[in-house]
Amino acid sequence: MDINLMMEITPLLMKAAWITIDISARALFFGFFIASALVALRTSRHVPIRWLARAYISVVRGTPYFVQLLLVFYGGPALGLRLDPFTCGVVVGAFNIGAYMSEAIRGAIESVDSGQNEASRSLGFGRLATLQHIILPQSAGLMIRSIGVLAIILVKNSSLVSIISVVELTYQAQRLIGSTYKPLEVFTLSALMYIVIIYAVMGIVEFLYRRATRYTYL
Amino acid sequence: MEFDFSPVITYFPTLIKGIGATLLIGVVVALLSILGGQIVAVISLYTRKAVNWPLRFLIWLFMTTPLLLQLYFLYFGLGQWVLIPAIAVGVLGLGFHYMAYNADIFIATIKSVSNGQYEASRSLGFGHLATIFYIILPQAFYRAIPQLGNNMIIMVKDISVLSAIGIAELVYLSQYAISVTFRPFEFYITIAAIYYLINILMETGQSWVERRAAARK
Repeated sequence: MDINLMMEITPLLMKAAWITIDISARALFFGFFIASALVALRTSRHVPIRWLARAYISVVRGTPYFVQLLLVFYGGPALGLRLDPFTCGVVVGAFNIGAYMSEAIRGAIESVDSGQNEASRSLGFGRLATLQHIILPQSAGLMIRSIGVLAIILVKNSSLVSIISVVELTYQAQRLIGSTYKPLEVFTLSALMYIVIIYAVMGIVEFLYRRATRYTYL
Repeated sequence: MEFDFSPVITYFPTLIKGIGATLLIGVVVALLSILGGQIVAVISLYTRKAVNWPLRFLIWLFMTTPLLLQLYFLYFGLGQWVLIPAIAVGVLGLGFHYMAYNADIFIATIKSVSNGQYEASRSLGFGHLATIFYIILPQAFYRAIPQLGNNMIIMVKDISVLSAIGIAELVYLSQYAISVTFRPFEFYITIAAIYYLINILMETGQSWVERRAAARK
């Protein structure tokens, strides 16, 4: 192990790690809205809309994220869609994770006993009020945990954005391995950074989970 | 913008070659990761700490870092010490990655097999190893099937990542075709469709296997 080299490349990798965090956080943020919209569309009254949402989720989950990135980045211009690499990573990441997240949200909502919905509706709550005051508070814990798992997958998937030359952690690591010929040192540092990011996400998720289930007695 | 799928048709033999390579890699990696995962799980559960802690550390390391980073490390790292072809790096990298995920599942399902099974088997005269291999592992394997299926479906999608280290699978071969024809959209949408088809077939296969497994449980 070459400690001097590791000290030297740490700032470079830190900067790249920040890009990884940035791109994942943005994708998670927009992905949440896409997921919520998909859940709403899946419960729509109109069959074609429901069917479209299901088809979208199925196709996104059935094709590799890697191919989706290549398709939008290199194939997008044919549709008049020109995105810079970073934006492309955020957009594809959000649309990809949105499909997975919509399943997580739906699963959490469906985990609440249907009697809760019926009782609330018969007490005079409207559909939205039932969702807001009765269903969501009870499903929040499960929802936060499953979104947390997806957030970790999102961080690891963000490494694939290096293929469209966004200088994030994996891209920088690959470049440094190429220029220093010290794969073990570079890998140790960059792996460490991924681990720190992932454990930070897990910590945040656990904190939010505790908050959301404060009043839940099991 | 107008689409022209005729280059895709011209290069379809290349794509077929890519599909073949992808499926072959998928089968090899599936066997490697399931068999290896079982061995790793048994070793990390039934041996002393000096043996199983390094193994558990490796499982944890493979699960907390991205596949592409691991592939780059193996590709550039192993190349310094031993001369191995890229395809071996790809298969081993993907194999180790999913071996860790499968071992994690096997560890959970082996633990879930009741202790009474072990005790009953020992009292019937089976040895320690015989009990593990004939009594515990088969039960653990059946319980692991649904999650193994999910992992393998995810794994097949990750084969596309191997194109980043230059392995001639479906995406890599189509990138070659794109560099000649300049039709990225048409090729990538075709690949997405092929992957979707593979995915549907695998999901159908998974539910068939699960039904069979449930019948034998």
